[in-house]
Amino acid sequence: MPIIDYKCPNCGSGMVFDSETGMLSCHSCGRNEDIQDSPDPLKVHVFSEGEATEYHCKSCGAVVMTESETTATTCSFCGSVVVLGDRLTGELAPLQVIPFAISKEEAVQAFRKWCRKGLLVPNEFMAADRIKGITGMYVPFWLYDIHNAIEVHAHGKRVRTYEQGDYRYTETRHYDVYRRIRLNYVNVPIDASEKMNDQLMDRLEPFPYDQLKSFNTAYLAGYVAEKYSYDYKELFPRAQDKISDYIDSYISSTVSQYTSVSFSEKNIHAKCRDAKYTLLPVWVVHYDYKNLEYTFAMNGQTGKVVGKPPISKLKVLAWFAGISGVSFLSLKLVTWMMGGGLG
Amino acid sequence: MKRNRVVLSVLIFFAVWLCFSIGMKTSVAEEAGLKPLIYDEAGLLNQDEIDELNELANQMGALRETDIIIWTSDNPENIDVELMTEDFYDEQAPGYDKPHGNAVILTLDMNNREVYLAGFYKAETYLDNDRLDEIRSQITPDLANGDYKLAFQTYIETASAYLEVLPEVKPDITYNSNNSYNNDYSPPVQSPTHAADQYVTSRPEVNREPDNLFLNTWFQLAVSLIIGVISVAVMAYRSGGRVTVNSRTYEEAHTSGILDSRDDYLHTTVTKQKIERNTNNSSGGGSSSGGGMTSGGHSHSSRGSF
Repeated sequence: MPIIDYKCPNCGSGMVFDSETGMLSCHSCGRNEDIQDSPDPLKVHVFSEGEATEYHCKSCGAVVMTESETTATTCSFCGSVVVLGDRLTGELAPLQVIPFAISKEEAVQAFRKWCRKGLLVPNEFMAADRIKGITGMYVPFWLYDIHNAIEVHAHGKRVRTYEQGDYRYTETRHYDVYRRIRLNYVNVPIDASEKMNDQLMDRLEPFPYDQLKSFNTAYLAGYVAEKYSYDYKELFPRAQDKISDYIDSYISSTVSQYTSVSFSEKNIHAKCRDAKYTLLPVWVVHYDYKNLEYTFAMNGQTGKVVGKPPISKLKVLAWFAGISGVSFLSLKLVTWMMGGGLG
Repeated sequence: MKRNRVVLSVLIFFAVWLCFSIGMKTSVAEEAGLKPLIYDEAGLLNQDEIDELNELANQMGALRETDIIIWTSDNPENIDVELMTEDFYDEQAPGYDKPHGNAVILTLDMNNREVYLAGFYKAETYLDNDRLDEIRSQITPDLANGDYKLAFQTYIETASAYLEVLPEVKPDITYNSNNSYNNDYSPPVQSPTHAADQYVTSRPEVNREPDNLFLNTWFQLAVSLIIGVISVAVMAYRSGGRVTVNSRTYEEAHTSGILDSRDDYLHTTVTKQKIERNTNNSSGGGSSSGGGMTSGGHSHSSRGSF
């Protein structure tokens, strides 16, 4: 019995997660159920491995068609909430989740508002009336806790210049510099879904970690969820790569008293202390414009929108001409006001 | 739309500020009225003559954007006329466009009866040694005769005429087989005023670009276009959303830190470099004139006795 559905104990309709109250709610009778109080069916049922490869909707009996990564969806025949339980157990069980704080209607509104703010996007696009689909998706992330032991040897120079008589003296003091640093990073998010564009996901940050809840399958009701495509070991290099700039800037800040520093040795020993499998809320917007589909992502908590919109060449030209023209006129005006209007 | 206006006003403000900060120096020199350009400390001229020459020098100087200066001195301390001129330039800081700017100075040392001509900045380019020699040879007979006013007038007009045309435009004055001037812009001594006027109208504007780069139209256009390109590029880049996390976002501050650090002093190296004083910097104030160059860096001059 790998499929979990959420039926209202009152009326039997499907219940979904409500982003405003943070509870399971029934659209038919208005019943709300607290998620933290209700037992997670995943913890009650035990799935034997490889029990099912085909899923049947518990409401209508139709075969639920999903991709292999999908963990939560809706039945394409009757629209019931479907959570694929066996894809969320064992190693695949998420540890924590940040639920949606923005409802579908709010997401559409926020996306429209964002479109109107685009200075270079075409007018037709600004109208934002071609939203093809908007999907609330729980994207699998690994949140890494990384401890770094850093040892740095460097040659530092402090330069002082002063004038005496007709000469300018440049005095350079040379130092042998050594630093041993402990640098810990917590909850560095790396998107573990193959489908999602890494760059897009990086720009969605930051997610409010104070909203982290321990995972309960009920949060997925009404949304699409995915399981990770890569485990934490596979993605650890990407996490290291992400923090390497941060580490460099920290090291630089410890030798800021020098005019110039050249590093002769930089030993960074990174240790992955923890990697928490976390589902983060993302609204994915598919937008049709001139037969091309554009995909945007919105942070399900903060409402931040990312994604490349189409750029109107006409608007680029207009802005360029406008800004250049105004700059030129003001330069000329100032020249004229100074009385030097030659040329 | 509100944001657009903010961006625009910031850009305009920046452009205005840029121009003002650069323009301040030049506006100082552009006071209304006549500048004193005739320093007759030896008392060779009467007041009417001084006024007349001063007006002429101001008028011609304005056309050429150059201060045309005359300084006569009894030189009681018996200083070399070349040094006198350099000190004068350093101390008085003359210049049409700015202090220590475009200027040509005629110094008359009545103690040793020597005359010295030197150009600075624009005048240094336009009045090379040959041209200064030419001016000097034209006025020397009048100086020797004590006809100072005529000599000075010739100097002002001839210098002004030369300042109209770059030496590179046409080669230096050449003589034809009849041994007379064969150059349409070499200033005729007989009717200098007329000659100067003629050059104003007949010469193209090629060399009349203002000295201040920031007043140049092409430069301003280039700056405007660059501002436009940068603004639009930033707008396009930011249209897809920005990364808003920084190095502190995921750092666990209370467990991170420097565990050990050493800064061992090794040695000190000192290099020294001679300071090239440059009067371009009007706030310099320091005066150091040595060798054959003043702080203005001029090298063209002409000296002789009369």
